Amino acid sequence: MTFSGVISTGWRSTDGKRPPTFLVASSAIVALAALIPVGYLLIRSIGAGSDWFDIVFRANTAAVFGRTFMLILLVTIISIMVAVPVAWLTVKSNIPLRRVLSVASVLPLVMPSFVMATTVIEMYSPKGVLQGWLSGLGVNRLPDIYGLGGATFVLVLMTYPYVLLTVRGALRRMDPALEEAARAMGYGPMHTFRAVTLPMLRPAITGGSLLVALYTLSDFGGVTLLRYQTFTSTIMIQYQSSIDRTLAAVLSLVLVVIAVLLLLGEGFTRGSGAYHRSTVGAVRTGRRFDLGNWRWAGAAAVSVPVLIGLIIPVGVLVHWLVRGLLNDQQLLPLLIPARNSLYVSLLAAFVTVMAALPVAILAVRFRSRMSRFFERSVYIGFGLPGVVVALSLVFFGINVARPLYQSIWLLLFAYAVLFLPASVGALRSSLLQVNPRVEEAAQGLGRSQWGVIFSVTVPLVMPGALAGGAMVFLLTMKELPATLILSPIGYRTLSSSIWSAASEAFFAKTAGAALLLVLVAGVPTAYLTLRGHGDKVGDSDRLMKIDEVAR
Amino acid sequence: MRMPWRRKQKEVVIPSAAAAAMSVLAMPLPASEETGVIHLQGVECSYPGSDEPAISNFNLLVRPGEFVSILGRSGAGKTTALRVVAGFEQVSSGYVRVGGQLVGSSFVHIPPDERRIGLVFQDYALFPHLSVAKNVEFGLKDFPADERRSRIAPVLKMVGMSGYESRYVHELSGGQQQRVAIARALAPDPVALLLDEPFSNLDRQLRAALRRDIKKIVAETGATTLLVTHDREEALATSDRIAVMGDRNIEQIGTPEEVYQNPISASVARLIGPCELIPGVYRGGVVVTEAGVFATRTTTDESISDGRQVLALMRASELEIEPAGEDEQWSATVELREFEGEFSEYSVQLDSGTLIRVRKRTTGGIEVGSRISVRARGESKVIVFVA
Repeated sequence: MTFSGVISTGWRSTDGKRPPTFLVASSAIVALAALIPVGYLLIRSIGAGSDWFDIVFRANTAAVFGRTFMLILLVTIISIMVAVPVAWLTVKSNIPLRRVLSVASVLPLVMPSFVMATTVIEMYSPKGVLQGWLSGLGVNRLPDIYGLGGATFVLVLMTYPYVLLTVRGALRRMDPALEEAARAMGYGPMHTFRAVTLPMLRPAITGGSLLVALYTLSDFGGVTLLRYQTFTSTIMIQYQSSIDRTLAAVLSLVLVVIAVLLLLGEGFTRGSGAYHRSTVGAVRTGRRFDLGNWRWAGAAAVSVPVLIGLIIPVGVLVHWLVRGLLNDQQLLPLLIPARNSLYVSLLAAFVTVMAALPVAILAVRFRSRMSRFFERSVYIGFGLPGVVVALSLVFFGINVARPLYQSIWLLLFAYAVLFLPASVGALRSSLLQVNPRVEEAAQGLGRSQWGVIFSVTVPLVMPGALAGGAMVFLLTMKELPATLILSPIGYRTLSSSIWSAASEAFFAKTAGAALLLVLVAGVPTAYLTLRGHGDKVGDSDRLMKIDEVAR
Repeated sequence: MRMPWRRKQKEVVIPSAAAAAMSVLAMPLPASEETGVIHLQGVECSYPGSDEPAISNFNLLVRPGEFVSILGRSGAGKTTALRVVAGFEQVSSGYVRVGGQLVGSSFVHIPPDERRIGLVFQDYALFPHLSVAKNVEFGLKDFPADERRSRIAPVLKMVGMSGYESRYVHELSGGQQQRVAIARALAPDPVALLLDEPFSNLDRQLRAALRRDIKKIVAETGATTLLVTHDREEALATSDRIAVMGDRNIEQIGTPEEVYQNPISASVARLIGPCELIPGVYRGGVVVTEAGVFATRTTTDESISDGRQVLALMRASELEIEPAGEDEQWSATVELREFEGEFSEYSVQLDSGTLIRVRKRTTGGIEVGSRISVRARGESKVIVFVA
């Protein structure tokens, strides 16, 4: 084989189709751009020479590592314990108000961690509202909200929906005949759940847990307000307090390693069994369990996380807002941050979806080693905490891309790297539902490959693009660490202005901005949930979907 | 294990006389010719949210060791009947007995896990997270550990799947999955085996081969079997008896020969075999149709009065065609001729446009397009149904 032959087979997809050059070129650019943060961080840390090992230990890393690990473990386990029963009750049982509760139980997702933290402190701290109510009953001292307990509490409330969405998706798609088969073989309802349902849910649970763990690892606002120092907050402190930023860079690299370990761990727990439906066939939904009078208890159980994670926090914000307006207290200016937030989030959604499009098309339609590599590199943002991306881009901006530094373009770049996986995932699954024969038909009617992509493929994946865009919009609105580090001086968004007030304990001042943020973030979330596309976030769930479609 | 939601049917307060009667009904009887292994009497079952019952006044008796098929078009309620036997649906009236024991009625509902029934689903429902051996072992939980292991190998050998013990479901072909599903259902020695359209997901060739294999396996084990299908070939080839579904209940039951030769209604005839039903007028032992005049017989006791509108059953194998004479009163046109070897099948278009099919020896063939007349073959008589 000639040299050019080798080259061309490398580019050719597995079914022999040769992808259009512009598709390959744009995917390559996106993939390379996505690799910049980690790549640059590596270069920077290697530049620190042999004393980086020293640096890591000087910073008391082991203790911080232990604390972070404890938090991740607790948050993940408790999230599973909350999410699995809620998923089962809202999908498989006949609780009253099932549909309403089904959407409501996902909505705590819209609360940014720092907003959730302020309301939790207001409610449950030693001088909080709950203590006030309980002192009448003779309870004089609540357990301290600050520290591990409080941080776990806040993070569980806002991350359990990740597990809920993936598990719920898996429950909906599960073939009811499997459970019936177990019943016919002499297994009672409980035994069937343990022997069949739960093992079938395992990949969805681990997929959702991975999201919970990665989020917990990367959270900055919530843990800082609740005074629990994790890896992420340590890096932020290092970054903000010292002039030499090498330590922050080296710690970031450790953070990347932890994230990679979590990702690998998830892959490891998947057994060799398959989890999609074993055969094609009509999707029959099983009959819901009749809980009898227990259904009221079921509805109450589902309501608890909704109450604590959504209704009470929003109630606290409303209370602050009304009190502030009545007493003529000073509230945060809303107009400019709201405009900035909206502008930056919409732009981020657009840029990210546009960048995701060529990668997704190449990965689905022209499968080759090359396209898989591009897709994998885009997925790196999935495991990267915002702090790491932002820090790396600061170095990159100062040393390489000076004109971009202190502009919103660098901020947008960070958002795109962080949220590309969400939009590639959404595009990918909607692309898989488009029959490639349709595209071939268009080509047979005389369109060029380029023409087919624009006249057929892109219009057909619009729903996926919208879902992906909505997801990016929501995530950008809530994002804090990268926004804090990369926003140009004086450029305030809703989240950064809430943070600056909240970090100085002016909680009540944040009410208006926080409510607005929750409302604006709530719109795309409701859209995603109602569309049933909310489970897109789940990586393993996505994989199951792909397997299903690919068959 | 008792769950809070397994309820109601056991809480219903029953007057003492009825309770006494019930205890008799619920008493397990040995499965005999009279009680049957599966016995449904006047069963009615409806799905929540629909006004009309899916099956009603449903009667069926399956005797020990028998292979019975329920044949019906989709939506006729045949799968519902199967699910009633298995215990996935509760009946609103009538009695369901399995192995002589009352398992379902308006006041009793024994859950599926206590019925000891082997069930093979349409899409097999093998557990994708378990290996083949583990799938089979799944139903053996009540057996002692050593017996559990000793049962797996023979049952897999019986279905021809030895050597696949450690494979996963997605590594098997459709036919292999089917075999494992049968092995899994048979392993715990069920009272009866229920098969829900078991061959519908397979291609035609495989279907026929697998059908023979399964018939053999079932005969070997002597398992009482109830099969649900919409495929008449499948029902005719496998069953000791066929139960043909009408509207929500069984219209006719009998051996394949009985049902094929003496269908009691036009709808049974349509379900059981390729045929054409053409309208005609009954006149003292013959039927006058546009295809000609035929001697008739009936399959019910009902007598037909002269001049009555009837439907005449036209089957390819019971008809004969020959070139039409000059002044033939009834004639038709040969539309198509399909060569099948020794025989050829002709599509004959009547003047109204109706097509009937006729099977004829290939020798002395008739050209497409020629005018012919239709006769009954030999002594055969045409079955008529009151229209």
